[in-house]
Amino acid sequence: MKLSKKVVLLGHFGVGKTSLFRRFMDNEFSEEYKVTLGVQIKKKVITLPDGRELSMIIWDAEGHSDSVEDTRKSYLLGSHAFIYVFDLTREETYITLTKDLKYLKENYNKIPAKVIGNKLDLVNEKEINTLLTEKNIPFDCLTSAKTNKNVEHFFSDLANEISK
Amino acid sequence: MGEQDKLKILKELLFTEEHEYADSIAQKVEELTKIVNQKKELSHKVDPIIDDRLEEFVEEIPKTLGPTITQALKEEIKNSQDAVVEALFPIIGKMIKKYIAHEMKLLSENISKKTKKAFSFKNWFRRTKARAQGISEGDLAINDYAKPRLIQLFVIEKNSGILLADYSPLSENTIDKEMVAGMLTAIKSFVEDAFQGGNQNLELIEYELYTIHIQNFYSYYVAAVISGAYNMMFKEVLEDQIIDFAKNHISSKDLEDSSLFTKKLKKHFADEIV
Repeated sequence: MKLSKKVVLLGHFGVGKTSLFRRFMDNEFSEEYKVTLGVQIKKKVITLPDGRELSMIIWDAEGHSDSVEDTRKSYLLGSHAFIYVFDLTREETYITLTKDLKYLKENYNKIPAKVIGNKLDLVNEKEINTLLTEKNIPFDCLTSAKTNKNVEHFFSDLANEISK
Repeated sequence: MGEQDKLKILKELLFTEEHEYADSIAQKVEELTKIVNQKKELSHKVDPIIDDRLEEFVEEIPKTLGPTITQALKEEIKNSQDAVVEALFPIIGKMIKKYIAHEMKLLSENISKKTKKAFSFKNWFRRTKARAQGISEGDLAINDYAKPRLIQLFVIEKNSGILLADYSPLSENTIDKEMVAGMLTAIKSFVEDAFQGGNQNLELIEYELYTIHIQNFYSYYVAAVISGAYNMMFKEVLEDQIIDFAKNHISSKDLEDSSLFTKKLKKHFADEIV
């Protein structure tokens, strides 16, 4: 039986959602920044450990400036997971994280929301871990779309989780 | 001094200013009349000279300024192609439309002439049908060739945009249907959100020779890609077939098993003459 799941990438402008999307989908990276308008959609078929195939349809939604509430609601409906991306070098992209996660939980409580801190190549991993712990910022994974660090691993884990 | 003289002196005393004012007006009127007459006279003399000069100018301008203007226009078109295309597009579009309408008329007349000459039962049937519908045989033949055809059918989950089933009567199919389903849903969601239509749904997308007919149900929607002339008659037939399929063949179990659902969809629409 065919398995298809919709995953939506969320987060502030310029945190690297599209870079993660491109790295995972096409294994490409570009330093050039282009704002995403509306949404772009791509599909990747992932083979699960039990041999089944999962079509992960990723919606790369345009970034918000203040809160995740600004994201078009119709893009979020029917999702099987949210990936909330923030920029490890810009505090303003994770300062509203707790509030945004609360909003997602209240409005889409059955949909798991994963948190990624991106641009790991630009910071010291140990220092940033300490900083995020001090500031009480919850996260599931720290990635670098540029160096491909933890990207594949993160998406494979997510595929396993939503296929259950 | 008599009464008359006294009255005269009194009049002079009282109306001196008015007399002066009346005289000045008369003088001004006289001056204006002179100017008008002078202009008329002048115009008689000058007009032929101006006419001659203008004629010369009209004759000379293409020779003297023509190459410069042409060069300037060429440069301008080269430098601002987008703006020129933008400006010309509606005009060219209208011309092409007129040209095509004319050519279609000629083609229709040509077909009518040929079919009149040749006899066959098919032609005889078409002739009778054309007479009954009050249109020419040529138009009817062209309509036959431009018949709407179902190219692809998608059944898509409403919110997620996940493809539940699809069917295409064409053997060659290279598009990624799951991505198309996602994009269609994103477009649909965007339009429905942007225009704040409440519970209104996007029902039609047109692009060049294709039309996407969208029929909404509670948890899913059906998108049918049509080529050819999508008309009301075809729309009604298609809508009925989709409703019939939804009513008789789709159960909640089907919505969870896309392979079984796809088989049912293929079976239903392969048998139907859409």
